[in-house]
Amino acid sequence: MAQSTVQGVPARIPKGSATVKIFFYTSIFYLLASMVLGLVVALKSVNPEFLTSNRFLQEYFTYGRLRPTHTNTALIGWLTSVYFGVMYYGVPALCKRQLWSEKIGMFTAVLWNINYIAGAISILAGYQTGVEYAELPLLFDIVVVICVGLTFWNLIQTTRHRQEKILYVSMWYWLGSILNLAIVYIIGNLPVAWIGSGSIQMGYYYFYLHNIIGLWFTVVGVGTIYYLLPKLVQRPIYSHKLSLIGFWMIVAFYSWNGPHHLVNGPIPVWLMKAGIIPSILLLIPVWSVLANIIGTMKGVWYKVSQNLALKFLITGALFYGLACIQGPFQSLMGPHAILHFTYWTVGHAHMPLFGGFSFVAFSAVYYMLPRLTYRHIYSRALMNWHYWLSVIGFLIFAFAMWTAGIIQGFEWMDGKQLGSAFLQMLESLHIFLISRAVGGSLMFLGQIAFAWNVWRSVKAGQLVTADDPILVSR
Amino acid sequence: MANEAEKNPGILLLGAGLLVLLGVMGTVWLPYFDDSVVTPTDTAKIRNYPTDSAEARGKHVYIREGCIWCHSQQVRPVKADSKLGPVTVPGDYYYDKPLTTMTQRTGPDLMWVGTRYSADWQHQHLLNPQKIAGPASIMPKYDYLSEQDRNDLVAYLLSLKPAPQKK
Repeated sequence: MAQSTVQGVPARIPKGSATVKIFFYTSIFYLLASMVLGLVVALKSVNPEFLTSNRFLQEYFTYGRLRPTHTNTALIGWLTSVYFGVMYYGVPALCKRQLWSEKIGMFTAVLWNINYIAGAISILAGYQTGVEYAELPLLFDIVVVICVGLTFWNLIQTTRHRQEKILYVSMWYWLGSILNLAIVYIIGNLPVAWIGSGSIQMGYYYFYLHNIIGLWFTVVGVGTIYYLLPKLVQRPIYSHKLSLIGFWMIVAFYSWNGPHHLVNGPIPVWLMKAGIIPSILLLIPVWSVLANIIGTMKGVWYKVSQNLALKFLITGALFYGLACIQGPFQSLMGPHAILHFTYWTVGHAHMPLFGGFSFVAFSAVYYMLPRLTYRHIYSRALMNWHYWLSVIGFLIFAFAMWTAGIIQGFEWMDGKQLGSAFLQMLESLHIFLISRAVGGSLMFLGQIAFAWNVWRSVKAGQLVTADDPILVSR
Repeated sequence: MANEAEKNPGILLLGAGLLVLLGVMGTVWLPYFDDSVVTPTDTAKIRNYPTDSAEARGKHVYIREGCIWCHSQQVRPVKADSKLGPVTVPGDYYYDKPLTTMTQRTGPDLMWVGTRYSADWQHQHLLNPQKIAGPASIMPKYDYLSEQDRNDLVAYLLSLKPAPQKK
């Protein structure tokens, strides 16, 4: 078989990696699924009778089972899969060679998907472990770790046999993140029996809860920003040194942040301090990323209005920055006492994960897809719909949650903590819960535009020409 | 310009791994050496359910049905928790496997719910929250649970109370 099977593309251009394609396409399926699940959860919060017409729906689609399925499908299904796709594309590209083993890559991708779907079904069937973000039962955790290990091995081998001596900074972030993921995932999913007492488990669970975001989603996301930004604006990153400082600061400070979820809670005070201080210090790496982006963009900001992938990327970086201003603020004892346990955290959790890193991932898919399929993105209009529905939907969603959270926090301080007083407070939240569902619906519509656009691009996007710049710059 | 060390993925991975493990040591491992964390309180002993007791099975139902996603079990020394009962300390959770402090309070905190309502109230409330608590409640009906599951769940909920001497 010829190296290239795409008509009109020169034979010297390698075929797009099947591993990357599997990860990208399936991740978009999970993206839509997580949106549907999230929307159902939101509607059940507006009307608990929603989708309870028969016993089957009542049991298997009860709020308490759907919610962890929603978070897992978004985190493990969508964002982790698309990140794998980005790395399976980006690492070989930066090493100027093919993936070390396409076969192992495809095996990993298929195993990953079978495992996640079975895992999600097991949560709906009532086997959730009860540990936030680590709800998958042990069996599926083991397969996740195997897939992470295979990915690590494959990408490390690709790196060892690279044609390019320099390790670009994205390689640092990506390779480091895979190692982080393995460490964080194993610690967070150790069987309860091995960990010991309940009060000890707090350290494990909140380490995991925080660092699956901080050491995995953040690190891959920042590495991806550093990969895409120079490509999209066609100039080098503003400061190489700053990006390395950011890398070391992230791994040094983020790993300490777990206890800040238990501020004012049942942990020793020294442990709270050990969580709060690094949370504040996190402002340093976050600003090093943002400063680097602003430096790189200096003089070429106008390109944001022309290049839609860049528009997604810059918006993602902006939301990431905002989330990381919220984070240290929330970790302080005063704000934490008001905001913890409220809907505020729901709004906050969606900011880095949807507004921030999902946007980075959208940008990556729009950038990489034409370089995999040798077809251009089908419709710029659909990209714009995707962008604006996502941004506006997210803002409605997030402001509804933040406002509801502040109301909850202050009403509790007024004593409405139990019984009928609690319900009175709940009634005042109704309008915000409706707003959340409205915002969520817009977000969902945006993702439909995304999925449709990707589908049409793969099927009917305009073929690249032999002198197309994308054939040169991966 | 890039120096030699920057080209070495081994140094990168070793350094990153060590820094992350430092955080693990500080926040995950060090608590093993804190007496307040590893000493069970009298309250914890109430929650030390024998295997296959109604309460232990009830806790399983509590997690399986995802009650944890709307109900915290943690009372803080802050104004927002002032009416929820005694402040919880690390040792109170000693026998919790897994831990159910959780992160949302869409419904009220359940740390000491056993002191508030009767078994009969709990049963009626699980069957129809809107009828018992009020139409504004957004809790799902748990009328699909088997009789056994519901009995176990209520036994678990009633067991959630502080030890007597803790005022």
